[in-house]
Amino acid sequence: MGMLCGLLALGLGLVVSAGWDLMIGDGAAWRELAESQRQRRLHVAPKRGGVYDRNGSALAVSVEVPSVSLDAVELLRGVPSQQVPVVARQAANAIAAVLGIDAAQVERRILAKHRFAWLKRQISALEADKIRALSADAPEDRRIHGLVVEGEGRRYYPRRELAGPLLGFVAPDGEGKDGLEYALNDDLKGNAEQLKGLRDRSGRLLFSDGIEDDRAFAGHNLYLTIDQGIQYVAEHELQAAARTFEATGGSVVVVNPNTGEILALASFPTFNPNDYTESQPEQRRDRAMSDVFEPGSTMKMFTVAAGLTSGVITPTQKMYCEKGVMQIDNVTIRDTHPSEWLTIPQILAVSSNICAAKIGLGMGESKLYEAFRRFGFGQESGLPFAGEAPGTLRPRSRPWVQVETASAAFGQGIGVTNMQMAMAAAAIANGGELMEPLLVRKVSTSAGEVVREVSPHVRRRVIPKDVARAVSEMLVAVTEGDGTGTEAVVDGYRVAGKTGTAQKTDPKTGRYSIDKYIASFVGFVPAEKPIVAIAVTIDEPMVEHAGGAVAAPIFRHVAQMALKLAGLTPKTSDHTDVAVLARTPDPANIAYEALREAQGKKPAVQEVLATGAVSPGKVRIPNLTGVPARQAMKQMIEIGLTPHIAGSGLIVTQQPPPGSVVDAKSEVLLILEPAT
Amino acid sequence: MTTITRLLTRGPDRGPVDIVLAALAVALLGFGVVMVYSSSVIEATVVFKDPQYFLKRQGFYALGGLSVIFLTSRFDYRKLRPLTYPIMGLVTLMMIASVIGLGHSGGGAARWLAIGPVHIQPSETAKLALVLWLAYSLEKKRERVRSFSIGMLPHLLMAGFLMILCLKQPDFGGASVLLLLTFTLLFVAGARLGYLLGLAMLGSLFAVWAVRFTSYRWERMLAWFNMSEHRQDLAYQPFQSVMSFGSGKLFGLGLGKGLQVLYLPEAHTDFISAIIGEELGFIGILALCTVYLVIVARGVRTALAAEDEYGSYIAFGISVLFGVQALINLAVAMSMLPTKGLTLPFVSFGGSSLLVCAAAMGILLNISRSSGSGNLRVSFSTARGPEPEASAMLVTEASFAPATSPAPAYPKSPTPKQRQPRPPPSPKEAR
Repeated sequence: MGMLCGLLALGLGLVVSAGWDLMIGDGAAWRELAESQRQRRLHVAPKRGGVYDRNGSALAVSVEVPSVSLDAVELLRGVPSQQVPVVARQAANAIAAVLGIDAAQVERRILAKHRFAWLKRQISALEADKIRALSADAPEDRRIHGLVVEGEGRRYYPRRELAGPLLGFVAPDGEGKDGLEYALNDDLKGNAEQLKGLRDRSGRLLFSDGIEDDRAFAGHNLYLTIDQGIQYVAEHELQAAARTFEATGGSVVVVNPNTGEILALASFPTFNPNDYTESQPEQRRDRAMSDVFEPGSTMKMFTVAAGLTSGVITPTQKMYCEKGVMQIDNVTIRDTHPSEWLTIPQILAVSSNICAAKIGLGMGESKLYEAFRRFGFGQESGLPFAGEAPGTLRPRSRPWVQVETASAAFGQGIGVTNMQMAMAAAAIANGGELMEPLLVRKVSTSAGEVVREVSPHVRRRVIPKDVARAVSEMLVAVTEGDGTGTEAVVDGYRVAGKTGTAQKTDPKTGRYSIDKYIASFVGFVPAEKPIVAIAVTIDEPMVEHAGGAVAAPIFRHVAQMALKLAGLTPKTSDHTDVAVLARTPDPANIAYEALREAQGKKPAVQEVLATGAVSPGKVRIPNLTGVPARQAMKQMIEIGLTPHIAGSGLIVTQQPPPGSVVDAKSEVLLILEPAT
Repeated sequence: MTTITRLLTRGPDRGPVDIVLAALAVALLGFGVVMVYSSSVIEATVVFKDPQYFLKRQGFYALGGLSVIFLTSRFDYRKLRPLTYPIMGLVTLMMIASVIGLGHSGGGAARWLAIGPVHIQPSETAKLALVLWLAYSLEKKRERVRSFSIGMLPHLLMAGFLMILCLKQPDFGGASVLLLLTFTLLFVAGARLGYLLGLAMLGSLFAVWAVRFTSYRWERMLAWFNMSEHRQDLAYQPFQSVMSFGSGKLFGLGLGKGLQVLYLPEAHTDFISAIIGEELGFIGILALCTVYLVIVARGVRTALAAEDEYGSYIAFGISVLFGVQALINLAVAMSMLPTKGLTLPFVSFGGSSLLVCAAAMGILLNISRSSGSGNLRVSFSTARGPEPEASAMLVTEASFAPATSPAPAYPKSPTPKQRQPRPPPSPKEAR
C-alpha cells in the first residue's frame, strides 16, 4: 500500500517537474507563441473612415464587401487520411468553379491544412450566394465545411473621377496611397491594435454585443473644405480646355480668400480611384501642388504690389517702357505690346515685361526676393499632402544676378506651384493677409465626436490694406477694355486678375522652348469684396497659348459657379441679361443641375429637389442613389418616411422615385446593390 | 424523520470526520467554481449569450456536491454492503443503455445518458460503483484472494465488462481508470504478485490493441508523438494546452486574464488545468498538486486506520481514484500522455463527475470518522466507561435525537458482534 502511495506521489512529482520545465524553463517562448497566435488572427481591418465635402457629401466611403476564406482543418475534419486527396480535389474543383479561380491553387490551400487562408477577396453578391449554396445552405451530406464568407471593407468613390488625384486611393492591404488617403492614412485607417485578444480560433470577432458598435475601432471621418459643386465645374472646365487645346496637363485651385479654405482643387489628367489599377502614376499626381512651373506674367501683380509697398513706385506714376526692347547685361527683354509711357495699371493691363523688370530692379534683389517669400513662394503651403513641391525662387541657391532679378520680376527663372499662386492672389484679394490654406475642415470619429477642427488662421500681413485695394483695382483694368484678360469677366461682376503666358524651358536644351508655353490666369471676384480667388494653369496648350484665351474662360466658368453657390447676385446690372436672370431664379437650382451632371445624372446625397413648395403633411422623397443603407435609413426616418431595404451595398433604385411628393409616413422601398 | 435519522446514523462508535480532508474538498469545490467561470465566460457568451451560463450551473452542482458530501459523510458506510449489487446493477444498466444508443452524444462520444432534463455520465458513476463492489467482494473472499479462480477471475471479469462498456462509448480514459483501480485494489487485498504482473501485461496488451485498432485513437496517438507537425489538426488541443501552461510562467497572468480560452477547446472541462496553469502559473499548479497529494495521503491514512477491511478497501480505492484522475488529467494537459477524456476531480465543469466525487469524498469522510479517532476511542473507553457511543452521539447528533432518549431513535441497535471493535486489520498484515 505504501508502495502504491509512493507511486502516486512520484507521478505527481513528475507532473510538477514537467510543469517546472514547461512554465519556468520554456515559459517565455510559449507565452510569445501564444501571443503571436492571437495577433496572427487579426486579418480583418477596422472600417476606414469616410471623406466628405464641406456640405457632407460623400467623396470616399468604405463599404462592406464579402470575402471568402477557408478553414482547411474544418473542411477535412473527420475525413479518413487515405481519402483526403480525393475530398480535397472535389472541394477545390467545386470552389474554383464558383469563384473562377485556379483549382490547383485551391487544392494546395486545402492540403496545407491551415486554419485560415483567403480564397478570394471582395467577391460579388452572386459568388457569395453560390459559396453559401456550397457550404451552409447545402444538404449535410454534400456540404463543404470550413468556407467562411465575411464582410471586408472596400473603398468606394461614389463620385468616380471627382477629386481623384486629391483623394488618392486605397490599396487592397488597406493602406492609403496617394493624395489625402495617404497623407491622412493614420486618421482614416482606424485602430486595429485595440482588437488584440478579442478574436477566437476561427478569427471571428468575439463579444459582438460589446463592440456591436465597431465604430469604436473605425477610422475617423474627414470633412474637407472642398465644395463638390465648384470642384466639379473646375474639373469639367479644366478638362474641356485641356482637350480643346491639347494640353498635357493643368490645374485649378479655388480658395476662399477670407478664410484660406480650398474650395476646389482640380488637376488634369485625372483618374477614377475606383479603378486605380487602370491609371498611370502621371494621372494620379495632383498637379496643383506637385508641379512647379515658371509663372510668367501673373507674377507681375506681386511685383507691383511689392513695389508699391516698398515705395519704389506710386499708384499714380507713369513709367517708361523702352518701346518694347531693353538690354540688361547681355540679355534682351521684349514686350509683346511695345509702349513708351504707361501708368502702373496699364503696365499690368498690357503686361509689360520691361516695366515689371524695372520695378524689380528698382527694389533690388533682396527686397524683391523677400517680398516673394512673404507672399508664400518658395515654401511649402503646409497642407497635409504628400509630394507637395516648395517651388524654387533661387534656382541656383544664390542671390539673383541683375538679369535674374529682372526676369523674376515678370515671372521667369523662378518656379512656383499653382497652390502658391492661388494663396498669394488670395492675400491681395483679402486686403493683404496671407492665410494658411485649409483643406481638411474637421476630423471626427465615426461616432461623430470632433477630433480636431480647424479655424482660419492668418499667416502674416504681406502688404498694407491700401496697397492691396490699389492692386485689386489695377487688376480690374486687366479684364476691362482692351486688357489681356477680358475673357475672364463674369457678367455682372468686376473681376480682378492677371493673365500669364510663360515660355517653358526645354529640358533638352536648357533654353526657352519656342512652342511650349504655360497659359495661366490668376484672379479673384468680386474685385471690391472678393469671395473667391482662383488660379488656373494649363500646361503646353497647343492651338493657342495665350493665358487670356486658354485659362481665362476656365476662370469665368468656375467663378460663375462659385458666385452662384454663394448666393450672390450681380451688383452692376449694365452687362446683365435680364432674360438669363429670369431663367435662373435660384442659384441652388443651378448648383443642383451642375451636380447632377457631375454624378452622371445621379444626384448627390443630401440634395432634395428644390423646386415647388410642398404642402403641409406631405414630404418630398430625397434622392438617395449611391448612399449607404444606414445613412439612407436615417435620413428617411428623419423626414418622416418609412424605409424598406432590399439587398445590400449602395442604393441604386428607389420606389417611389426621388422627387415624388408623398404623404408623410409613407413607405419607401430602397433597392441596394454591392458597389462593384 | 425517523427513517432519515436512521439512514444518517454515523454508526455507534464514530468520531468526527477528518477535518483536513473535508476542508480540502470544500476548498477544491469553491476553487473549481471560480476556475470554471474564468475559463468558460467566453464560450458562454458566444454560444449561450450568457456569460454566467456555466458559472450558474457549476455553482448549482457545487452546492449539490456540498450537500452530498454532508449527507454521505453521515451515512454509515457499513450499511453500503447490502447496496453493493443494486448500485452495480443500476450503473451497468446505465452503461449498457448509453452504449446501445440511448446515449446523448457530446463531442462525438455517447457518454451521456439523458433522463428527462438530467444528463448523466454513467462512466463516472461506474468508477465509484466498481470501488464499492471490489471492496465488498475482496472483504468477503478475504482468505481466498490469493487463488486465481476465486480471488482474481470474478473481479477481472466484472472490471473487464465495465471497461468494454466504457471503451464502447468510447471513453478510453474511464477504462484506464477502472483498470488501475482493479489493479491497485487487488494488489492491496493481497493478490499474488505474479498474477498481478500478468494482469498488468494483459492490460497493456489490451490497451495497445484498443489504441492500435481504433483508427481515431491511433491517429491521435501518432499526432501526439509528432505534436509540432499536427499542431493545427489532431494535436491542436494538447498543443494549445501546453501553450496555455507555458504562457503562465511562474505566477501566471492572473485570474480571469487568461487568453488561451479563446483557442483551447473544452477549456472548462477536461483541460481546465491548462487554464489554471496559464492564470495562476507554476505556483498554482504546485499548490493544486500539493492539495491532491494531501487528499491522497489523508485518504490512505484513513484506509490504514479504518476499523474493517471493507472500509479500508473503499478508502484506499477512493483515494486512488482521486489521485489517479488528477494525475492523468494533469499529465494529459501537459501532454505527457495522449488526450483522454478525464476530468480534474472537484474542479472541472460537469455535474456527474462533481457529484460522484462528492459522494466518494463523503464515504471517505465517513470512514475517517472511525479511523482518525483511533486515539479518541481509547480515551472514550478509559474516561467515559462503557457508554462511548451515547456520549459521542450527544456531541454531534443533538439535533436529530434528544439527549435524554437516545435509545428509541435506534430501534435496531447494533448486534453485539458488530459492536465488538475489531482490531483494524492492516492490509499490509493481510499480505
